[in-house]
Amino acid sequence: MTAAPAPAPEIGADAEHAPVTGASRLRRIAGHPWSRFALRRAGRLLVSLWVLVTASFLMIHLVPGDPVRAALGPTAPAALVAERRAALGLDDPLLTQYLTYVKGLFGGDLGTSILTRLPVSDVVGQRLPATLALAALAFLAAVVIAVPVGVVIGVLTRRGHGRRTEAAFTSGTIVLGTIPDFLLGVGLVYLLGVTLQWLPVAGNATPAGYVLPVLSLAVGPAAILARILRVEMVAVLDADYLRTARAKRLPARSLYLGHALPNAATASLTLSGLILGAMVAGTVLVENVFAWPGLGTTIVRSILSKDYPLVQAIVLVYGLGVLLINTAVDVALALLDPRSTIRED
Amino acid sequence: MSELTFEDVTVRYGRLTAVDGVTLSVPAGGVLGLVGESGSGKSTLARAAVGLVAPAGGRILLDGEPIRAHGRHRPLQMVFQDPYSSLDPRMTIGETITEAIPPGMSRPQRRTEVARLLELVHLDPGRAGAYPGQLSGGQRQRVALARALAGRPRVVIADEITSALDVSIQGAILNLVRELQRELGLSILFISHNLAVVRYVADHVAIMLRGRVVEQGPATRVLAEPRHDYTRALLDAVPGHRLTARSIP
Amino acid sequence: MNRRTAHRWLRVLRTPMGRAAAALVFVVLVLAVIGPAPWNARADAVDTANILAGPSGRHWAGTDNLGRDIAFRVLEATRLSVGLALAATAIGVLVGLLLGTAPWLLGRRLGRLVTGAVQIAIAFPGLLLALFFAVVFGVGATGAVLAIGLAGAPTFARLVQTLLAGVAARDFVAAARIAGVGRFRILIRHLLPNIAEPLVVNATMGAGGALLAFAGLSFLGLGVQAPAYDWGRLLYDGIGVLYLNPAAAIAPALAVLVAGLALNLLGESVAKGFGMDALVGLPASAHPSPAAPMGTAPPAPESTDDSPASDVVLDVRDLTVSFPAAGGPIRPVRGVTFSIRRGEAVAVVGESGSGKSLTALAVSRLIDAAGRVEADRLHLLGADLREPDSAGQRRLLGSSLAMVFQDPASSFNPTQRIGRQLAETSRHHHGLGRRAAFSRAVDRLRAVRITDPARRARQYPHEFSGGMRQRAMIGMGLMGSPALIVADEPTTALDVTVQRQVLDLLTAIRRSDDVALLLISHDVAVVSEVCDRVLVMYAGRIVEDLPTDRLTTGALHPYTRALTAAVPRMDSPLDRPLPVIPGRPVDPADVPPGCAYAARCPLASQRCRDEDPPLAQHPSGHRVACWHARPEPVHAETVRPASVVETS
Repeated sequence: MTAAPAPAPEIGADAEHAPVTGASRLRRIAGHPWSRFALRRAGRLLVSLWVLVTASFLMIHLVPGDPVRAALGPTAPAALVAERRAALGLDDPLLTQYLTYVKGLFGGDLGTSILTRLPVSDVVGQRLPATLALAALAFLAAVVIAVPVGVVIGVLTRRGHGRRTEAAFTSGTIVLGTIPDFLLGVGLVYLLGVTLQWLPVAGNATPAGYVLPVLSLAVGPAAILARILRVEMVAVLDADYLRTARAKRLPARSLYLGHALPNAATASLTLSGLILGAMVAGTVLVENVFAWPGLGTTIVRSILSKDYPLVQAIVLVYGLGVLLINTAVDVALALLDPRSTIRED
Repeated sequence: MSELTFEDVTVRYGRLTAVDGVTLSVPAGGVLGLVGESGSGKSTLARAAVGLVAPAGGRILLDGEPIRAHGRHRPLQMVFQDPYSSLDPRMTIGETITEAIPPGMSRPQRRTEVARLLELVHLDPGRAGAYPGQLSGGQRQRVALARALAGRPRVVIADEITSALDVSIQGAILNLVRELQRELGLSILFISHNLAVVRYVADHVAIMLRGRVVEQGPATRVLAEPRHDYTRALLDAVPGHRLTARSIP
Repeated sequence: MNRRTAHRWLRVLRTPMGRAAAALVFVVLVLAVIGPAPWNARADAVDTANILAGPSGRHWAGTDNLGRDIAFRVLEATRLSVGLALAATAIGVLVGLLLGTAPWLLGRRLGRLVTGAVQIAIAFPGLLLALFFAVVFGVGATGAVLAIGLAGAPTFARLVQTLLAGVAARDFVAAARIAGVGRFRILIRHLLPNIAEPLVVNATMGAGGALLAFAGLSFLGLGVQAPAYDWGRLLYDGIGVLYLNPAAAIAPALAVLVAGLALNLLGESVAKGFGMDALVGLPASAHPSPAAPMGTAPPAPESTDDSPASDVVLDVRDLTVSFPAAGGPIRPVRGVTFSIRRGEAVAVVGESGSGKSLTALAVSRLIDAAGRVEADRLHLLGADLREPDSAGQRRLLGSSLAMVFQDPASSFNPTQRIGRQLAETSRHHHGLGRRAAFSRAVDRLRAVRITDPARRARQYPHEFSGGMRQRAMIGMGLMGSPALIVADEPTTALDVTVQRQVLDLLTAIRRSDDVALLLISHDVAVVSEVCDRVLVMYAGRIVEDLPTDRLTTGALHPYTRALTAAVPRMDSPLDRPLPVIPGRPVDPADVPPGCAYAARCPLASQRCRDEDPPLAQHPSGHRVACWHARPEPVHAETVRPASVVETS
């Protein structure tokens, strides 16, 4: 399959900035599958970012009634409400507010809390590390558990093998994957924290404090990931190119780790991106179970106290995290499977 | 009996030109065999004729008139390669055929028409209630032919209709196509990569290569005295049939 | 819903998981419908003497801070919890269907816009969307229903789009469009019925997900507000008193979990039941032991006159391949005996289902573990292939036996460069280093006439054309020093001009290195060009073994003659209909007694239907399995079965 020489239509807007002499060069680069992929992917990231920023901006305006009145309560004096409204710029035309908001974002200004009048960026900066640590550790734990389990069970249950193992594994992972992280958290708190009193149940002051939150967050995704990986392993082990590899009479290690695993991992990667994204969101619930000093406890408190600028900013941060994860997954996919750069989807 | 003509037809998919200025005609009451390898544009030409893709240039005419691509009555019908994909598994074959009958018939009339069509393709009319899953590949292809005929077409396009079938079934379908063509005086555009098959059903042949027609003419002439190098190469590649001596190293 | 579909639903209910899940879902739904009536009063009865009591005979799960019975409150909450979850699911399914079918109905441009919007929305996790909508719609039950419903819509829309695109690409949709059926009508009549099952399955699992998501929102205090209560709200209250009465948290948690799991498991069992493969779901006892894939047949007695001539490369006697199935094992290959000499090219021809490909895989030891291979003799270069897998056997097969498969597009590992895939053989079996193996790969690519092999070896399979891939596959077999090339339909997926190149290449290799060739094909014409000898297979048996030059004139078996005649050739007469074989090929699961071809054979007699003819030497010089084998070609039209005189 040879790349057509014409430029991708998406870059038409950029092409006019290029000097005339560079046009053919640009066209050649744009014709390469990799650069076309990168442009396409960057384009999607930009659009997603714009949607995210706009949605978070609109959030405060979609709330029924006056957000400041709602936050300060019905007893707050009208003068105070008016003053806060003015301070937040809520009386300006919508477009002006939007431009101010976007401009502020570029300067790292996430707005000001209605209630505490502290810069939101300070609050986020203070709470983000705990959430990041929780999500990263849980993701690591999920991958470390899921990959070996999925691969080994996949090999054991390849076509014509281990039907009982498959049934047990499948129902087990369905059950584990269905239990929501916060319920698992509550259960662990009750069992290991309250009844046996082995582990701390709140906060991240000690390393032991990480065990239960990370576990509650990691088990479900690990089960789902292991299950996907098994299915992909079984499919790959049944593929024509695995038969070719078997026809070369390679030892089992080469077959499973050299040929099957990279392909199965590639196929599972897109889904693991979604799982990881869901895990980031899952921190909200788990943090609330374990009184974790992260963004999740803050956003819930802010929603309940109607501190909308804070909610807005945290939604933005979560969304940004998810977008970065998805982009990283796509790039990893392109590196692992050269075909994915051509595939248009 | 109608004549289907392609005048300088070009079809593009994005940047790819699949059909490049093709001029062809399916004579009234005749069979034009269209031969080419994968990617030559022969199926795209067929899809353009029935309105599944829009040509970027040129005209497709039926008896000199543009073809109506809207409304219930379509003068062109098509039979597809894969009989496992061309019948809706959720519909009985009777329902499938009924759907293609032009409106204006009463329910009993439609039922009689379905029975007539099934008999025409040598299937038991009593099987109208069967689902495609209960039929063999050859029987499915007969149903697909009956559906195409249900639309009272002036031209039928057959796109690789035997290449998914076993050899013992292929012959029966080819015989049926010849029989229907003679009995009903149909004009047929018969697309295939197999020269021996095309030779058997077509009286005119056109050879396509990379979106262009490189040679066309009466089947006997083109197959016996090919003028284009590519036609010669194709004929030479037919297994068991060699025009020129070939040196084996 | 036709009968087959109904049958599949029933099959789902027959699995233990499916039955348990269906029963649980039923119980939950019944509780939700009749729920409040019997225990309404008891759930709200305040008992100030028993505040925050632990579980007891009177209060199974204890009481809350007003002394109300937790167990009854959990039962009472079923209706609200399930009702809210179903409402949210309905919103999600409805919006998802609208968004998902929009690309089909709106046409290319607008459709792409909708698809793009869904793709962006789906990148954000459901919980994040739900939080966003919960803020926008306000804290409370209504806000939560809308939030969870809308948060689920993009996933559902994406599913609808994907499934729809799959069905819309099928030819029956094109046929309906050509017949003049409108887009909306096609959607209702053809598309939706064909994707309904996965959608129902997904909606069921979606309801389970919504139930759990609701519990999550309520748990955060963002869902149902007091005095109304659902399971999540009870859980929220229960956690607050976890140290005083743990049952107050555990009871609603269990309720949520059981209901959510039941819906999910039901969805999963239905999905599994519908995707089931015909060979799966067999009794466990029918499994062959994977450790002994070559079967348990006793080895053939080794007598001196029985040993093959020294130039025999492959020697197969009474080879059988069977697969376990519900109604007893299926035997697609039933006692095949043949041998191939050095440099000889032998073809196996037959229609689909004749067992020809399985024969090739069996002699190459590449049958799936589910299949069972038995033989009286299975020797490659004198080595017994029935012996269990060993390093020595692997080396022999890896370097002396080359395989070429039908579909070159799927037979290479898509994530590895071609050169590396070729080099692998030499690295494992010949102990070559990375660089030496790679340069041998380049050399072998050159040998199979790939231009610029050094550059090509660094490319991925998708950068090769179909014919080049097939030549590279042959080159892979040449990494060792093969004595036998087994090629299974090597040109079926290729264009005729490319087919010619590949066949010429195989012939050239065979001539220059004296390599034997076992060519599996459905195409008599291809076979007659390349091979010296043809084995004709029908229903898992060899029915005739004849030299290629006798194929058109000297065939003895009526099937061989019919098969040869049925293929249109460049010289077949145009004034007569093509000879056809009536009936259809035999289903390997249902092989009749006697000669399998009898039902389609114009010569068949009672004896043919009773007794299976053995493959035996015929006076005219080759092997044939037919009671009526005769040298003269017989015109099927002129011979009536009744007029045939029994011979022998």
